[in-house]
Amino acid sequence: MIRHLILEDGTTFEGLGFGAPATTFGEIIFHTAMTGYQEIITDPIYDGQMIVFSMPVVGAAGIHAEAYESVKPMIRGMIVHDLAEVSVNRQRRMNLDRFLKQHNIPGLYQVDTRKLIRHLRETGPQKATIVDYADDHAVDQLVATVLTNKQVQNTATSKPYANPGRGRHIVVIDFGLKHGILRMLGDYDANVSVLPYTTSVDEVLTLDPDGVILSTGPGDPRSLPESVLTLIRVLQTKTPLLGIGLGHELFALANDATLVPLPSEHHGMNHPIQEIISKQIFYAMQGQGYAVDETLLDRKKLFVTYRDLVDGAVQGLRHRDYPAFSVQFFPDAAPGPYEATAVFADFFETVEDYVEHHS
Amino acid sequence: MSNITVKNILFIGAGSNDFGLEAEHDAAIYQVMPELKGHGINVFLIDENPYALSLESLAAEAIWQPLTVENIKHVIKNNHIDTVLPLFGGTRAVRLWATTVQQWEHGDGPVPRTLGLSIDMLLRVNNLPNLTRYMADAGLPVLTSHVVKAQDDANELLRELQIPLMIRSLHPKTTNTRQMVERLDEFEEAIDYAKKQSMTQEIIISKAINGLKEVSMEILRDFRGNKMKIGASEDMDPIGIHTADSLSVAPTLTIQDQVLEKMRTYAFQVADLLGLQGIMHVQFAFDDSTGAIYIIKVSPYVDQMASRMALVTGYPVMLVAINLAMGIALEDIVLPHDFGEKTAMMEPMMDHVAVKLPIFPFGELEESDVSVNRQLNSIQKSVGSTIGFGRTFIEALEKAIRSAHFNNATFSPTNMAHISDDALIQQLIHPEDNRVLLLIEAIKRGYEIDELAELTNIDEFYFYQLGHLLQLELKVENDADSIESLRLGKQFGLSDGLIALFWNTNFTNIRSLSKEHQIEATYKALEPSAGEFPENARQYYSTFEEENESVQVSDNTVMVIGSGAFRLGDAASGGYATTIVLSELRRLQYHTIIMNNNANDATLMQNLADKQYLEPLEISDVMKVVELENPVAIIVPGNRRKLITALRELDQNVLILPKEKHMPSGPVDDRTEFALNIFSDGQQIYPVNMTQHVAGELRIISQIIELPKQLAQTHLENPGVYQVIWYENGHDWVDHVEISDISYDTWLRPMPFGQVAFISKVMQVQWVRITVRALLGRLTEQDQKLLENVNKLTLQTDVSLVAADVNYDLHLQPIEPIDGTRFELGVNIQYYDQK
Repeated sequence: MIRHLILEDGTTFEGLGFGAPATTFGEIIFHTAMTGYQEIITDPIYDGQMIVFSMPVVGAAGIHAEAYESVKPMIRGMIVHDLAEVSVNRQRRMNLDRFLKQHNIPGLYQVDTRKLIRHLRETGPQKATIVDYADDHAVDQLVATVLTNKQVQNTATSKPYANPGRGRHIVVIDFGLKHGILRMLGDYDANVSVLPYTTSVDEVLTLDPDGVILSTGPGDPRSLPESVLTLIRVLQTKTPLLGIGLGHELFALANDATLVPLPSEHHGMNHPIQEIISKQIFYAMQGQGYAVDETLLDRKKLFVTYRDLVDGAVQGLRHRDYPAFSVQFFPDAAPGPYEATAVFADFFETVEDYVEHHS
Repeated sequence: MSNITVKNILFIGAGSNDFGLEAEHDAAIYQVMPELKGHGINVFLIDENPYALSLESLAAEAIWQPLTVENIKHVIKNNHIDTVLPLFGGTRAVRLWATTVQQWEHGDGPVPRTLGLSIDMLLRVNNLPNLTRYMADAGLPVLTSHVVKAQDDANELLRELQIPLMIRSLHPKTTNTRQMVERLDEFEEAIDYAKKQSMTQEIIISKAINGLKEVSMEILRDFRGNKMKIGASEDMDPIGIHTADSLSVAPTLTIQDQVLEKMRTYAFQVADLLGLQGIMHVQFAFDDSTGAIYIIKVSPYVDQMASRMALVTGYPVMLVAINLAMGIALEDIVLPHDFGEKTAMMEPMMDHVAVKLPIFPFGELEESDVSVNRQLNSIQKSVGSTIGFGRTFIEALEKAIRSAHFNNATFSPTNMAHISDDALIQQLIHPEDNRVLLLIEAIKRGYEIDELAELTNIDEFYFYQLGHLLQLELKVENDADSIESLRLGKQFGLSDGLIALFWNTNFTNIRSLSKEHQIEATYKALEPSAGEFPENARQYYSTFEEENESVQVSDNTVMVIGSGAFRLGDAASGGYATTIVLSELRRLQYHTIIMNNNANDATLMQNLADKQYLEPLEISDVMKVVELENPVAIIVPGNRRKLITALRELDQNVLILPKEKHMPSGPVDDRTEFALNIFSDGQQIYPVNMTQHVAGELRIISQIIELPKQLAQTHLENPGVYQVIWYENGHDWVDHVEISDISYDTWLRPMPFGQVAFISKVMQVQWVRITVRALLGRLTEQDQKLLENVNKLTLQTDVSLVAADVNYDLHLQPIEPIDGTRFELGVNIQYYDQK
């Protein structure tokens, strides 16, 4: 069935509907990854967004049990050029089309995605809607729609839960956690407690963690309550701390950094990221709309550890006084290159050091 | 920026063309030599292939000699070579350089430095068991072979490796002792047999990987250890069919991210292990059911995958690779201005699909009554390939098939209707070159997709896709004159010609119907950022979408039609000629456009033409581009007669590069072929020289010839190099031929491009360039003077063109031996003693 994508600037695209026949609104962004569509559409960081894939054929790798980044995808729409109907599920039922149907998410295919991406590259992300008819009514609806800025509330857990292991005790503060982080912690046999971001300092410290991770998450970190920054300011003095994605941005804000929206967002896995101290270049999954303004950094507190060599965007920070550091990219490699997982090795090394010196 | 100082560098070429050796190395060397010369390095090149373009490059001192250890040593000594770069010449150059180093003697002086890999690693790469052990010791998942003698040991291996197993004899008495063991009860019998066939009663057991998925990955590494992935492709055909004979798809479509990232990690580990500075191709086998990955081949040098990845991603693979080999860090590489500033460091992303289709020599052989084994297996049978580009797999596949120039009827859905069910099943299990049609036929007959996937070990995705194609073709066929079907058909890559065939009309009608309903091709730029950044793209492919990105280059362009895939008989010489044409057009200050579809052909190197259209070369494809670019002239190889006629009917200014359809490359039996070679500038004919061709060897006769009276009055309107041919009995080399009367049993033909390449090098006269100038009416006074005296040039006549020693028996398993002098695949040169 022919359906339409309408952008806030009035541009429309025609395609064929797949997934759910729903009408949705969201912020539209484009993604250049060639693999990992299932991980991407289930990553809570994309809550409330519509994703255009530059990869021309999507769906041919099926839907896999081990490729969920959250149980329920939070995207508002998926726009691709060509849709493949392959199932690798042992029940032989689940493919991308059915998966989106099940979660009431509309998809659009046979879209000139290259034209759309070249357009979005110029305009930046904007509001968009997927509808049956591209009429004035639909445009009015889109213009009138105010998109939520409560993505973290939407996706993060409201109750603590455990992911037990026999190793170090790691507290994860959940801002919209993706499974990849838990998977990585599992590799280190960590004993994990996942806490809501509304947790108090006392609640964390009572659990006596060996380290704390500020998780990834969706949306603008500046829309979160001040209490989150206070929590981080205390925790970083008490225990090794690693911030990832949104967690990195919050860690920066807690230490007086300034965030700026990126002129062109990073959604992909092909940008060279350089570790400044070693000059080593590696690649990692990125999903980033904001960046730390390096010029306004309080250098007495933080220094830059990683940089994106394409546009110079800060990719990592470290605190001068505490065993606390953060990365903007996603080191859990779900999806994405494995090189980046070295960040977790760093973190656990820091944890071991800390435990050794503080027990 | 480089951390090494080089004064005199030697490139080792790849030698003659062969199965799996087309023009990719020559093109790579041709591209990178100016890069070094630009840095003040003296560049030397040794190669023997008469078709080598790089031997005519101004960026290097070219040494045209057979590739032997002795010659390489001489070149090194005579030119004070301090650095050798074998990696661009591929496996043959690497092997040759390794041998040279091993045979290095005290008196040879210091061993020059090898770039890209240390000598130690080079020797290891050249010794497969050694390399495999080295990787296994590093914990990499390689397939190891175990040699056993006792049944107990064999049983233990059975437990460890699990079936399926490959069992063969060590030191076998017969040639092929390979057995696949797929069931436990076959094991003991297979062991017994292999033992009996072994002269030492020893057997080799390894894990069998037939039927697994094959994935190729191309990566780069710099001296600091920074690594990046250029791209990956998956073979539709499972392991068991040589990757060159497989239909390959880039990017990978059916492989999950996690699996691909594991392969990436392994490939990076191999690069670190080898200390690579440059480029590497790693081949993997992937077991979909267990998730197991095996490294099956490591090629730390330029090969066809490298040139294919350059073409399909738009990433400047060769330029970056030479920088890395020269010890420049990834982040310090400066690219020519038409690439994005950060392009070298960004892993290329694709927003299109590229399908590589192998081209087999079976048709040419059949025409000459040579029967061969057409069943595809682990030994390469294809001699070339085409690539189709599109926005879907089907569109790319259709375009690859059309690029192969099959007759439309060959790919009509009804073509396989005659095959019996039994034969169909047999061929599904033991595929031949026509398997794509066969798969479609099987779907048509109602076989379930999961059955077919199990039978063929081809991913279900491809059956779904082929099923779509079948439905699409049926819809178009049954829905004549429907605009909707026309739109759909074009979106999926069907040509005007094929749709015309379905609808019993001609392509002109389809073309005007499409125009009338605005079903027009749009061209998408092929660039490595997948739309993320603006790039000054030079490469375009067509599709049917909303936005067209290609704008006319200028009002002074000449468009050149490439010769597509390499085939038996044509070999690489077509690519040689087209490339020189492009180079000459640029020198004459035309803007240039090339249309072609062969990744291993030099015409598609990144900086040769102002614009590339990666397209099939049928009339409808060519006309679409012509309408957009409005070239002042179109240069077409003379064997494309239908295309030439069609273009002329559409009032295009067609210039013909004289060429005939392929022919047996030389005389058979006890006969000599004489050729009186002439050049026509369109007005006048000039005598050039005489050549003699005996049993696969061609020599220039050292005789100054004048034009026989029959030719003096002939007018050859189309400029070019021609020859008058005749045969005589006997095979003795002569130094004089009587040519005053050549009116009996002779015929005139365009000189084959291969011979043009050869005599151009021997005579130091650029015949292709002169032909281009003549075609465009741009011959200079100097040219005229040269032509008037060209028959009197003093020539080096101790060098002959010889058919390369191609192992047809191994590759094609012919019923009777193939006479290599009749079917040219590659050529060499040979120096002979003059009488």
